Amino acid sequence: MARTRIVLAGEGGQGVQSIAKILVEAGYEAGKEILYIPNFGVEQRGGVSIAFCQVADEKIGEPRFSKGDIVIMLSDRAIDRCSAYVNENSTVIYDSSVCSTKPTCKAKEIIAVEANKIANEQLSARVFNIIVLGVLLSATNVLKLDDIKNAMEMALGKKFDAKPELRELNYKALEMGMNMIQKAGV
Amino acid sequence: MVKKLITEDTRMFLTGNETIAYAANAAEAEFMYGYPITPQNEIMHTWCKLLPKTEAGFLQTEDEISAGFSTIGGILAGKRAFTATAGPGNVIMQDAQSMAEMMRIPFVCAVMQRGGPSTATVIYAQQETRLTCFGGNGEGFRIVYSTAGHQDLYDYMIKSFNTAWKYRFPTFMLADGYQGKMREPVTLYDPASRGIKMEPTPAVLRAPGKIDVDRKANHIRNTFNLEEELMEVLDSYQAEFDRIAPEIEEYLEYKAEDAEILIIAHGIVARSAMTAVDELRAKGIKAGLFRPITLRPLAVKPLRNAVSRAKQVLFTESANGQLAQMILEKIYGLTTPYSTLFKMGVGVTGDDIVQKVESMVKTPATV
Repeated sequence: MARTRIVLAGEGGQGVQSIAKILVEAGYEAGKEILYIPNFGVEQRGGVSIAFCQVADEKIGEPRFSKGDIVIMLSDRAIDRCSAYVNENSTVIYDSSVCSTKPTCKAKEIIAVEANKIANEQLSARVFNIIVLGVLLSATNVLKLDDIKNAMEMALGKKFDAKPELRELNYKALEMGMNMIQKAGV
Repeated sequence: MVKKLITEDTRMFLTGNETIAYAANAAEAEFMYGYPITPQNEIMHTWCKLLPKTEAGFLQTEDEISAGFSTIGGILAGKRAFTATAGPGNVIMQDAQSMAEMMRIPFVCAVMQRGGPSTATVIYAQQETRLTCFGGNGEGFRIVYSTAGHQDLYDYMIKSFNTAWKYRFPTFMLADGYQGKMREPVTLYDPASRGIKMEPTPAVLRAPGKIDVDRKANHIRNTFNLEEELMEVLDSYQAEFDRIAPEIEEYLEYKAEDAEILIIAHGIVARSAMTAVDELRAKGIKAGLFRPITLRPLAVKPLRNAVSRAKQVLFTESANGQLAQMILEKIYGLTTPYSTLFKMGVGVTGDDIVQKVESMVKTPATV
């Protein structure tokens, strides 16, 4: 059974749950079986925010899983918290422009991206998470770009309509993220 | 009359909390009373968001004590009313829930368990199992359904209203923070399309008709002067609870028929167990699952049969054996050895269960 388990972790306020919602909405609309659990503490901001997402072709049993196929870490604390979800079959992606150290866990592959730096220098700090979504899209390679764009439209359509340049900015961020790493399985 | 939003089968991608609000509307619930507590807030939020369309009612009270007693008030007035709570809120609502037991009030409550004791985590646990089944200063004259995902949440929320009003014991839908907050696809439907007829909800207070002319007085007591008076009533409640138990008991077996290692789990952990059973079977290990759906009353006969057939039993929970304690008492006398996998306030994954069962194959349980 094809099932992709994703752990997406960062600081509260980095927009982790926002992009997880876009990802799972896109999967649902594409006819996939989806299970998404946002993991959160009592804080509104700060603290580690984790999204556990599963995208599958058949009905999903376990809501929580032990090890992720893709584990994304967007802060030092996210590295500390989420190394437990990594094993030798996991692909780990971390933001080297945010994290001060490289993850030391044993993984199939550990990839560094600089989403934060590129967002700040070339686009806007606000689309940092959309760049990460692009990275995730390539890393998982189970959803199509159009599915994600439709889901973005559902989540952000009103803002886009009010300010059309935001749509372009977000698409650009998505595309830059996708090109930061090689597509999985290609 | 409230307006039903779901008139035909509708596939949606919802959180569990949203699903529960839709289910209550499908069941033609008229009023929700509640007080905010994570992880059940979105039941209230969704219920309120839908109010302009449903024309139902909502009251946010000052705490869960008040939410519980207000729910009782609404029910006594003949409203199909309900509440929802979690964690410490569930603790302080026990007084009202006990009163509902004593006065045989068709109280309906969704419980979204979080970690305990006290504030602990806002995320998830199965640590309110004992509390929901036996809380309060009474004997646990309660009906408790334990759900394992969004379709269950929808089905059993509707069913809880009918069970409560038919049998007049407080009825709980026991879920958890994962189920409340997670999103997965679910099919919403009009209960009538499944042949489900909603039980009528006659008023107890201010019921129509003149007392002693048109009807007898409704006299429901919460206070007794003599010990014996109380026991007489409670004995009759126990007899009634035992009589109706076979009509209410529900369970699910998954590949349990020829299972050598029988996993016993309830709620969302049972879903992880199903993933584990498939993986273990693929490795040639005959594992199976027994999932009690009603925790009160438990389906004792099928449970004893399944345990008798197995060579070993594994209890697994996101609590320190709250269900296992309830079950061990009911399977007294059986000698099948058992082992445990308890993670207090933490989710149990399929991998956790696979590894545990594999260790039981290597080194069988002796207890």
